[in-house]
Amino acid sequence: MNALFRDTLLAGSLLCLLIGGSFRSVAAQDEGKSKRPTQQGAVAPPLHQRIDDLIERRLEELKISAAMSSSDAEFVRRVFLDLTGVIPSARQARSFLDDAAPDKRQRLIDALLARPEHAIHMARVFDVMLIERRIPAITSYDVASATWRAYLTEAFAENRPWDRMVRDILASDGTGDQHAAGVKFYLVRDVAPHQLTRDVGRLFLGVDLQCAQCHDDPRIDAYRQAEYFGIYAFLERVTAFRDTEKNVSLVGEKADGKTTFVSVFTALNGETSPQLPGGEMIADPPLERGKEYVNPPGPKQRGIPVYSRRNMLAELLPRAETEGFARNLANRLWALLIGRGIVHPLDLYHSANPPSHPELLELLEHWLVEHDFDMQGLLRELALSQTYQRSSVLPAGAASLPDDSFAAAPLRGLTAEQLSWSVLQATGRVEQHLHQIAEKQSADKAKSADATPDDQSADAMPAWRRRLTQYEPLERQVKPLVAVFAGLPGQPDGDFQPVVDQALYLLNSPAMLPLLRDPPSTLLPRLTAIAEPEPLAEELYLSVLSRRPTAEEIAEVRRLVEPLASSERRQPLLGLIWGLLLSSEFRLNH
Amino acid sequence: MSNPTRLTLSRRELLASSAAAGLGAGALATPLRANSATAPRKQLLLLFLSGGASQFETWDPKPGAKTGGPYRAISTSLPGVSIGELLPHTAKNMHRLTVVRSLNSGIADHFQGHYALQAGRVAKGYPVLGSAVAKLLERPGDLLPGYVVIRRDSPKAYTDVGDAGFLGAKYEGVQIVNNQPPANLAPPQNVEPALAEAVERVRQAADDRFRRNRYASPIDSYGTTFRQAQALMQRSDIFDLTQESPADHERYGKHDFGQHCLLARRLLQSGVTCVKVVHFDWDAHQDNFYWHQIRCAEFDRTLVTLLDDLDERGMLEHTLVVITGEMGRTPQINNLGGRDHWGRAWSMAMAGCGVKPGVVYGATNDTGTEVTDDPVKLGDLFHTYLQALGIDSSSMYEVGGQTNPVADPAAKPIDALLA
Repeated sequence: MNALFRDTLLAGSLLCLLIGGSFRSVAAQDEGKSKRPTQQGAVAPPLHQRIDDLIERRLEELKISAAMSSSDAEFVRRVFLDLTGVIPSARQARSFLDDAAPDKRQRLIDALLARPEHAIHMARVFDVMLIERRIPAITSYDVASATWRAYLTEAFAENRPWDRMVRDILASDGTGDQHAAGVKFYLVRDVAPHQLTRDVGRLFLGVDLQCAQCHDDPRIDAYRQAEYFGIYAFLERVTAFRDTEKNVSLVGEKADGKTTFVSVFTALNGETSPQLPGGEMIADPPLERGKEYVNPPGPKQRGIPVYSRRNMLAELLPRAETEGFARNLANRLWALLIGRGIVHPLDLYHSANPPSHPELLELLEHWLVEHDFDMQGLLRELALSQTYQRSSVLPAGAASLPDDSFAAAPLRGLTAEQLSWSVLQATGRVEQHLHQIAEKQSADKAKSADATPDDQSADAMPAWRRRLTQYEPLERQVKPLVAVFAGLPGQPDGDFQPVVDQALYLLNSPAMLPLLRDPPSTLLPRLTAIAEPEPLAEELYLSVLSRRPTAEEIAEVRRLVEPLASSERRQPLLGLIWGLLLSSEFRLNH
Repeated sequence: MSNPTRLTLSRRELLASSAAAGLGAGALATPLRANSATAPRKQLLLLFLSGGASQFETWDPKPGAKTGGPYRAISTSLPGVSIGELLPHTAKNMHRLTVVRSLNSGIADHFQGHYALQAGRVAKGYPVLGSAVAKLLERPGDLLPGYVVIRRDSPKAYTDVGDAGFLGAKYEGVQIVNNQPPANLAPPQNVEPALAEAVERVRQAADDRFRRNRYASPIDSYGTTFRQAQALMQRSDIFDLTQESPADHERYGKHDFGQHCLLARRLLQSGVTCVKVVHFDWDAHQDNFYWHQIRCAEFDRTLVTLLDDLDERGMLEHTLVVITGEMGRTPQINNLGGRDHWGRAWSMAMAGCGVKPGVVYGATNDTGTEVTDDPVKLGDLFHTYLQALGIDSSSMYEVGGQTNPVADPAAKPIDALLA
């Protein structure tokens, strides 16, 4: 036992050195070994081209002809939704469509990634992914969602590498201020070891280890069971500790507890020490009896062991060597942009559910490892690919294309957040809100024109935090809408599943009409002020559907409004706005 | 797959049937089914004992055993068969029921148990029973949702994870919480009918344009929710329990479960294919015996009232009633007087369409810790439900170009239970 521990410790520290020092070169060697078309000397083509090559190759094998490239209008709406979580405003859409520069798509991608809205959007996406809309048993002790949101936004604003983010979250016990918010991951799961084990597997490794019964093959089940209990052993000693003085929940840990399990297939008893998939078993260090704790657990005291298995997990799991760690991120970022995982569903990587494009998944995984888990960089490459930029209009004669061929842009439902924010954008509320803030700021500035400019303090606030603060009133406005469209607590937001309650809300909720009609919505007054049907239709379509109307659509608008004086037009214009907001084209990311 | 004619037809039917409803508006909801002239459709009522009822205090008592608890067993209308004394009315009706005492699901978790019980398998993404049967028994021209779930409001409704899986939103259960009709069923007062009509016209025209050359399925599935919404708005009376007599309110019991079952009867009469009533909450980790006394009292009388009514109206012949929780409760009584989660040996019951009445199937040992005879898996029950409803449980779904077995091929129906 002792020897094993020493070996593991030694191996562990060597690995740490590698990671800290020259992991990049290890990965590069790997790259060299694999026989890719680009050998030494030649500069490898950028990732997005290699992605497209692999997708193309498979399409040829499958004899599928892909959809054509997206129109600028399709692209601008999609890329705004995917990178900033909201459709473009009419102004933004128009300016992109009117831009004649050949590199405008790339420039837009780079501009969007640099915006604070990108970090805010990613924070929303990862909040839903990591928390799954769970509410802990005792909410008053939970990390406030604003704190958690700010924590994630900061991480994405600085493009913090994923391994560091995961390490901080897994290691967080709720104390200290640096990464205390990360403890929310534990708290919303009521610090329950089995729930945590399952979700660490699903969310960080892309495998649902509890899904043993998905397989017909008991050998795989037995293997899964051992993997499950290997992770469980890292987490079985965690305990919730409620600090009633400070009204916070913390995570404590015991110094003892052995993980045993009975195989359902072999009826053999198993005992396991902590072990990651593909890793070594890690024995506890021998500690003298009575000296296991820094702080022994008690009613008034959080348990802090000398040797923490949980810290070991935080240290060892977020590494390229952990089977599934980089692959899971690659797959999740791919799904975020392309609309479907290479492994799908995202948390069901197993032999009976293989990746649709194994070599592509491997390529993305390698790229992430080589680039220190640079999420923004990967999103950029994905957005630049032809695969991403395809149209959702199917090639002539095709009624559908296989989802997992990535031959056309899929029609996917907007998330609850994308949908709700897009309603505010379409009605002009987002722009109007930011406009009012800007006006107030310039008024304030004018007032204190002769005083020394104290912009310093404002500048000291990072852009993401300023934006987050500015969006707070809107955040409150979207809450009821998000609640209507959000998935169930504890379940991943899955494929597009509209339900009748949502339709009833959109048709009949007393909240809808004021949202569309009353200030600070600007769309209706803007449209009422335009006399000619054609520019009116253009403003309407750019605002709601981020594109210019077709002749048919202009004719529809003309028919509805032309006979009417501008004072009589409010009702039909409302009908148009509302009807388009309920259309599939608005509801879907396409 | 999706053509404008279908839409028009449905709208016309909608108008026709709502006109009919206006004429016949009485105490009973008018059936709203296109083919009501033909043989009655088979229907399903799932009475779901949420949290997991104790088999010891209900179908499989073990009086005198150290695991048996304080209650007696009482004899029933079936010679030689006893059940827990907390179910006196049910005992007199055992000849109408089909009881399984040998269920071994191996699952002791609410979420997993609830899903596996309803989907008949553990693998995810499959439709739950109500959604599956709604799909499999669907007839052209149906307008009401095929599946309605009635439950109490609860901050921790941990068992409500059911969904239609790959069948899509159309088969998702419509949630009725606290017997309130679905929210937003009536148009808001400040919206003129002309505006609502304009909105619908613009929406449909936009969808028709967008559908050209695109993959139709998600577009149609979104459009369907609006048609369902309109059908529900037209027939909001089916949720209106004030139209049921005070005597019936009394007979079913004024508690949640009684009222929910009364609504279930009304919905089944109106032609909803599948109704699930969630009886909350049987999860008695503490004070199991006190708790079961209360729950069983509600359940016992209401069940019998419901069976009587369905029978009297000729509905029991074509309605399968399934009575089960997501798991059983432990033989061991914990130090809080509770019983915990247990999946190894527990019981459930059925009545009505397609099942053999007066059958008690399987058995457990003297202490109720193990199944001794005729072990049953959740997958076998799922096959059995489908067969009882006249659905070939070895058939396949053909959805979105994919073929999936309607029931787990590794399981099979229990012939001894089928009529």
